[in-house]
Amino acid sequence: MMSRSQARMFFVGGTILFSLVFLFLTVDTLIKVPDLTHARNITPAVDRGKQIWESNNCMGCHTILGEGAYYAPELTKVVERRSEQWLKVFLKDPQAMFPGERKMVQYHFTDGQISDLIAFLKWIGETNLNGFPAKPVLKMTATSAPASAAPASHSTVTAPAMFSQLCTACHAVGGNGGNIGPALDGIGTRRDTTWIDKWLIDPQAVKPGTAMPTLPMSNDERAELVKYLGELK
Amino acid sequence: MKYTSQRVAYWFFATCMLLFSLQIVYGFIMGFAHMGMDGLHDLIPFNAARATHTNLLVVWLLTGFMGASYFIIPDESGRELYSTRLAYIQLISLVLVGVTAIAGFHMNWWEGRKFLEIPRPLDYVVVANVLLFLFNIGMTVLRSNKYTATGIVLYVGLVSAALLYLPGMIYFSNQTVDSYFRWWVVHLWVEGVWELIMGSILAYLLIKLTGVDREVVEKWLYVIVGLTFLSGILGTGHHYYFIGTPSYWLWIGGIFSALEPLAFLGMALFAIAMYRRSGRNHPNKVALYWTMGCAIMSFVGAGFLGFAHTLPQVNIYTHGTLVTAMHGHLAFWGAYAMIVLAVISYTMPLMTGRKLWNTMPALLAFWLSNIGMLGMTAAFAVAGITQVYLERRLGMDFLAVQKEVEVHFLGLVLAAALFTAGIVLYIYTFIKFGKPTAELQENIDTEDYPVRESHAALGGA
Repeated sequence: MMSRSQARMFFVGGTILFSLVFLFLTVDTLIKVPDLTHARNITPAVDRGKQIWESNNCMGCHTILGEGAYYAPELTKVVERRSEQWLKVFLKDPQAMFPGERKMVQYHFTDGQISDLIAFLKWIGETNLNGFPAKPVLKMTATSAPASAAPASHSTVTAPAMFSQLCTACHAVGGNGGNIGPALDGIGTRRDTTWIDKWLIDPQAVKPGTAMPTLPMSNDERAELVKYLGELK
Repeated sequence: MKYTSQRVAYWFFATCMLLFSLQIVYGFIMGFAHMGMDGLHDLIPFNAARATHTNLLVVWLLTGFMGASYFIIPDESGRELYSTRLAYIQLISLVLVGVTAIAGFHMNWWEGRKFLEIPRPLDYVVVANVLLFLFNIGMTVLRSNKYTATGIVLYVGLVSAALLYLPGMIYFSNQTVDSYFRWWVVHLWVEGVWELIMGSILAYLLIKLTGVDREVVEKWLYVIVGLTFLSGILGTGHHYYFIGTPSYWLWIGGIFSALEPLAFLGMALFAIAMYRRSGRNHPNKVALYWTMGCAIMSFVGAGFLGFAHTLPQVNIYTHGTLVTAMHGHLAFWGAYAMIVLAVISYTMPLMTGRKLWNTMPALLAFWLSNIGMLGMTAAFAVAGITQVYLERRLGMDFLAVQKEVEVHFLGLVLAAALFTAGIVLYIYTFIKFGKPTAELQENIDTEDYPVRESHAALGGA
């Protein structure tokens, strides 16, 4: 059995050795990080975005790089998952996007702050994270839309920009899009354009308690959307 | 209690009790919010509740470590504390910083990095405060003619903790570098130097409570803290898997964090071995419960549950989910909360002169809080594993998954109620002891004091 002085040597020696290895690896990591994270893309907007991120303690609910709290979604790849347009609308009024759901604080961000935040999130989404977050290996496909039947029925209709940036976060067409709201294949058969128009103006008036948010859009944008949806037969 | 200045520890421990109670209140706020009952959202949004919950934990544990040091260092050094006045000034300023930070959280004032939420200007006050503490303790050690391994390891742990706080104060515009150095504080504290503090307090309590020869206990202490650093320093790598750092961290972090449970296992085996060799039948059984409980629960919570999700193949799915909360709760409870509660249980009869050991509320406090915490850990585990499968493997939407796991938060809150009952009884016992006395009494457990044979006389007294 070792003596007390040998035990002390083990402690002191081991600590010094492993501290030195750790410092060496730290230097090597700091040399490699700029490439892995595309540090040249850290513009002043990205840095401002990071400061907004910190000065509101976003990590107190969300995770980023998988670090933070578990009350709100992981945001490393959020720009890829939603879209810049969606985030712009969402950050203007977070609770409007998910009525009756878990709440995010309304921070009253200015347009400039929102674009800084999005710049930060976009930059971080492009870093090399050794495969995180893992792709969901058992991913469910959108349920109510048989993917095979859909493309033929609306291949001639092109979706307006608004639709592919915003609506697909929750709704799928032809099997592409989110699965929070119902799939919209054949919506033009199920509903007429007057109903769709009313629905988009104020979902709560048509169906109280619905999870569908009132999305901010101009009359032209809405008309374009209604036309598109009416043609999804 | 050999020295009157050791009494300052009482006020640190009383502060611990207060902050700990408040921490639990904020825990409930979050538990209910997870169930959809977020009525306090406008006053205390989740991020404020969470930061308050975790920062109160850190502050009360540090306060506990400081109190323990103010009790242990004079005893180990064989002299009065350098200055009791400094100790009181230091406690009051620590509380003021804490209150300011928490009030700030509620007004959206942040540094805003996980576990380092305290606004940067206050960081400097924290540093000044800790320097004051280290100066006071350091002068006590220096002016004595006695250097024990237990005292030295404790002091090295405290100084390193202070030094490692510094890299966390620097601003980096690259989130990856930011996170890299944030872990120098967080990981190297809880899986490094805090274990030194914990190990030395544990060694001190075992020397006192079991009467095992100091030579033996301190040899073990060196081996265990040696193992801690051997695995823990490069074990920091398990935080560097997926944050934009080179991929060699996957295997370095994987291998060394797989070794991390060894230090905790060593600690548990060491405590059990010392207990079995015990030559002393110490009357303060409750303190012995907390001490042994700490050694065992820290292995389960920090060692075993940490290992359960530390391998990169597992962690790529569990990283950033409620699985982390599962490990975090039992680890902090077992390793750090219990060691502070152990040292409080051990010192209260000595400081107040009231031999209120082994009362029913004190024993119930131990069992209820531990069973409650195990229940909470189980609830987090089920919620976490469900989240991993639905969100990470099936690709379900975050909020939809949160709806699915709401029921486990009901389980969490119920277990937390049991835990809280235990803590209420602990605080009740604490209050029952009353204030410390100036009167020095016979030390019932100095190292040369009776071993088991003469215990009958003591028990009958």
